[in-house]
Amino acid sequence: MTFVKTLSQKAWIWSFVGMFAVWLATAVYTGGKGSADVLTAALSFATFTVIVGIGQMFVITTGPGNVDLSIPSTISLSGAVAMKIMDGSNAMLAIGFAASMGCGVAVGIFNYILIRVLRIPPIIATLSSSFLILSSAIAYGRGLKIKPPPLLADFTTAQIMGIPVLAIVIILLAAVMGVVLNRTMYGRSVLAIGQNMRAAWLAGINVERIRFFTYLLSAVLAALCGFLLSGFSGGASLNMGQEYLLASIAVVVIGGTSVAGGKANVAGIWGAAMFMFLLVTMLNTFGASAGIRLIMTGLIIVAVITIAGGDEPQR
Amino acid sequence: MLNKFLLGATILATSLTTGAVMADTSGKRIALSNNYAGNSWRQAMLGSWEKVAGQAVTDGVVAEAPAFTTAENQVTEQAAQIQNMILQGYDAIVINAASPDALNGAVKQACDAGIVVVSFDGIVTEPCAYRIAVDFKAMGKVEVDYLATRIDGGNLLEIRGLAGVFVDDEISAGIHEGVAEHSQFKIVGSVHGDWAQDVAQKAVAGILPSLPDIAAVVTQGGDGYGAAQAFAAAGRPTPLIVMGNRYDEMLWWKEQKDANGYETMSVSIAPGVGTLAFWVAQMILDGKDVPQDLTVPFLTVTQDTLEDSLAGTQPGGVANVEYSLEDAMAAIAGK
Repeated sequence: MTFVKTLSQKAWIWSFVGMFAVWLATAVYTGGKGSADVLTAALSFATFTVIVGIGQMFVITTGPGNVDLSIPSTISLSGAVAMKIMDGSNAMLAIGFAASMGCGVAVGIFNYILIRVLRIPPIIATLSSSFLILSSAIAYGRGLKIKPPPLLADFTTAQIMGIPVLAIVIILLAAVMGVVLNRTMYGRSVLAIGQNMRAAWLAGINVERIRFFTYLLSAVLAALCGFLLSGFSGGASLNMGQEYLLASIAVVVIGGTSVAGGKANVAGIWGAAMFMFLLVTMLNTFGASAGIRLIMTGLIIVAVITIAGGDEPQR
Repeated sequence: MLNKFLLGATILATSLTTGAVMADTSGKRIALSNNYAGNSWRQAMLGSWEKVAGQAVTDGVVAEAPAFTTAENQVTEQAAQIQNMILQGYDAIVINAASPDALNGAVKQACDAGIVVVSFDGIVTEPCAYRIAVDFKAMGKVEVDYLATRIDGGNLLEIRGLAGVFVDDEISAGIHEGVAEHSQFKIVGSVHGDWAQDVAQKAVAGILPSLPDIAAVVTQGGDGYGAAQAFAAAGRPTPLIVMGNRYDEMLWWKEQKDANGYETMSVSIAPGVGTLAFWVAQMILDGKDVPQDLTVPFLTVTQDTLEDSLAGTQPGGVANVEYSLEDAMAAIAGK
């Protein structure tokens, strides 16, 4: 019993409970047909949400008002730049990847300059930089659709016994980020800043350097997502990052990270990303109309957040 | 020297054939109010506008024809944009609207200020505005009619567009009308692909495992390639997928055609419809009699015209038709 009790106090458990409930409901409805394949699909698509979710989690954890709204446009820019540079050639893979990471670094630095030097609140800063980034992507590619190099396409879509290879890689990445969050100087500093920025500063933490690395990390992960996503879906498109704005925030919150900052966990992001995909799949399978689907999505997300945060009143 | 001569000849020829066009609208200013630019269709639409309207400015048909796009695809933002255009004293405003009715207030203000308002693609319902609409319902029905000529029947997967948008409802209504007529078809699943390849891929991949064998996929354009990839990833046989006019969709179709004789069709709306709206606005300013509601045909690509369409489309672009003044006159005459 104590095991169940300890488990139910973990904030991340609820996203997994929600995920299994939704999956089970779908499986019962279809009589078990294709339930395993649904999980495979969920794993492959959740992967991309998890990548940006991790970056967003670090940003949100640094305290109230911190959020990165430039993720979608960074995804589009990184994908467009990488695809155009590689031009479908395996030989250019490393250069394309480097260019994509370069986009991420540039965006991260730019965001931080807006926030720190020009003292613009992060929401406004990242929102306005997202316009600049998307405009660069439009000017650069004009919506150009170039096929990814075969090697990249094969890697992003490969499966081992029904488990996407990319998902395994990103599960490892999530595990590493979990260690970074809980066991390293950087991760502890992020948590400390989120709990009380002034106290963290008085304790000798270089607050601004930590915030800089956090925005940089978020942008680089968004760029990585753009690179992999354009390999997975057969090329980059201008609006391919669009749905990752709300998704990146939603998986962080449903995953049990506190919106107020200072409290985070990585495991929940995986549960939440799978949950979000399976939820849409379930409602699609039930044949629910778009209106009902959106209402249900909203209600279920509210329910999960309420249950997950129920035992601990927010500040 | 030669250029000058050619220009003179063109002006002479134009003034001979189209009468007093030059004199009447050469001082007029036409603005494009556009609500969204973030996909390849909209990029092609803006490109066509720039090309055709830009040429019209160079030729002195109109004084100015700038295009303005709102950043956030919000009704309030576009309403404010239209109000700015009224203040700036444009003679005509061509609109691709974020909403069919929420902009009516701003549109009415423009009409009251004596400004000609022409809406296309995303049309507005305000009676004083002109509308250039595509018969979306017929477009949906054509897909099912085509399927009936190709296969005996079976299960259909429907990929819809952006939920809550008028265009999506209309095309879907047409598809369902077609299915009611051809009772050998049954829609067993329906997802929203938002007219985007990656969204469609994700939605189809999610629902596919729970579906029986799919004979064909009916789409709304922009989503065909994503559907094909989802079927391939799930290891299911590729069904007959109706395509849209995106380059990636036509390229995939071409590859399949060359590899195994894959046969399908494509229906779509040409982004160049914006240039038709431009000429309609110009003609109204010129004092021509133009009906309030116009219908333009949709763009169809068949197995035989695929190569031509593909050759005429730049990589990453959209199959397109741009309109000339003569085409616009023909459209108005109902031809």
